[in-house]
Amino acid sequence: MAGKIKQMIDTIINQRAKDNAMLVGVIKTKLMLKGIDPGKFTLQSPDDPTIIAKLEAVIKELK
Amino acid sequence: MSIKTAFSSKTSLPEVVSDLQAQFGDFETNLVVFFASSSFASDEVAGKMAEAFPQAATLGCSTAGEIVTGRMLTNSVVAMAFDKQSIKSAKIAVLENLSSDVGVALNVFEQNFNRPMSEMDPKQYVGLVLIDGLSGKEEQVIDRIGDLTNVNFIGGSAGDDLKFAATYVYANGRSYSNAAVLAMIEPVSEFTFIKTQSFCPLSQKLVVTKANEAAREVLEFNNKPAAVAYAEALGTTVADVSNQFMHNPVGLVFEGEPFVRSPQQIKGDSMFFYCSVIEGMELSLLESTDIISDTKKAIETARQELSGISGIINFNCILRTLELNQKGLSDAYGELFSGAPTIGFSTYGEQFIGHVNQTATMLVFR
Repeated sequence: MAGKIKQMIDTIINQRAKDNAMLVGVIKTKLMLKGIDPGKFTLQSPDDPTIIAKLEAVIKELK
Repeated sequence: MSIKTAFSSKTSLPEVVSDLQAQFGDFETNLVVFFASSSFASDEVAGKMAEAFPQAATLGCSTAGEIVTGRMLTNSVVAMAFDKQSIKSAKIAVLENLSSDVGVALNVFEQNFNRPMSEMDPKQYVGLVLIDGLSGKEEQVIDRIGDLTNVNFIGGSAGDDLKFAATYVYANGRSYSNAAVLAMIEPVSEFTFIKTQSFCPLSQKLVVTKANEAAREVLEFNNKPAAVAYAEALGTTVADVSNQFMHNPVGLVFEGEPFVRSPQQIKGDSMFFYCSVIEGMELSLLESTDIISDTKKAIETARQELSGISGIINFNCILRTLELNQKGLSDAYGELFSGAPTIGFSTYGEQFIGHVNQTATMLVFR
């Protein structure tokens, strides 16, 4: 399977940034500092369970 | 915008406080931010600053050196005062134990400003964070703040003049350790941020393949012992590599901008950093550039963005201060801040979006 990581990242960015371009950059930086590089994943990227677990934890932590 | 600064290099605390009061005169301040040399007793400096400005909220911390408009100082106290023309409102909260829930401190802001942190407009509010510089917990705190709000918090880790014994943060008359002081401010006018670090990424990559994140320890880069991989990247030996730490730290590079992780020491094959390094991170080897030129450009960019600067709070890494001292550039650095009321201090770490090293993070008011 592929693409789930990119979808999860996009969901996090959209929910937090809400179309605010400046916030998009900040949210992406926050993800980088949490160890997830948003630029590294595409819809063709395989569903790495370690990264997915990390993103699930991030989604829980984010308000 | 009405922002005033003052400083005192007197040696007795009562004289320092009188000096600051005299400089501020009858300025009707509602918020005082101060940074005090660790040569002053922490409980006394916190208490006396609150007594001196009873109508204002006061916050500050101990330092590894101070910065004021046009100058770098030591053994001094620097202070910045705001009034109703510069700050609409401000609230201070203390996270008294860095292992406790950051949300409890942010609840204080929610109650004060009467809205959830998650809904506060980052263009309307800005946060300051001052944190115990020996706690090793800066990244957890700033990361958790970032989870809970889009309001940007900027700040630094308290210092103690390179003694590495005890650092303190101050809020409304009290002194704390193993704590963070947070402030939410609603400025009257626009504001912006500077995050400047004088390094360029090199081509060598170091992927963190094994780490003890809580201890800020990297055991392996590129599946090799960390010290060996770092030395190889630099083309030197493990025995000599610590001489390169200041000029060749590593960084997480995102869209061309490094978030610096400074090496602290080598123990065995492991490398310890002044900042968290997460397993899986791809770090770039960095090379130092020109602090004066880079900082000058960053200030000018901020000036153009805001069409003028009325105040700067500068959280400047002690490693930058040491490099400036070594190169005889301290006066030149201080002069960069002669054009606007400025206070700052030499920090044991800097915070903006995350926790970083060898960086100057600055809050700039229009």
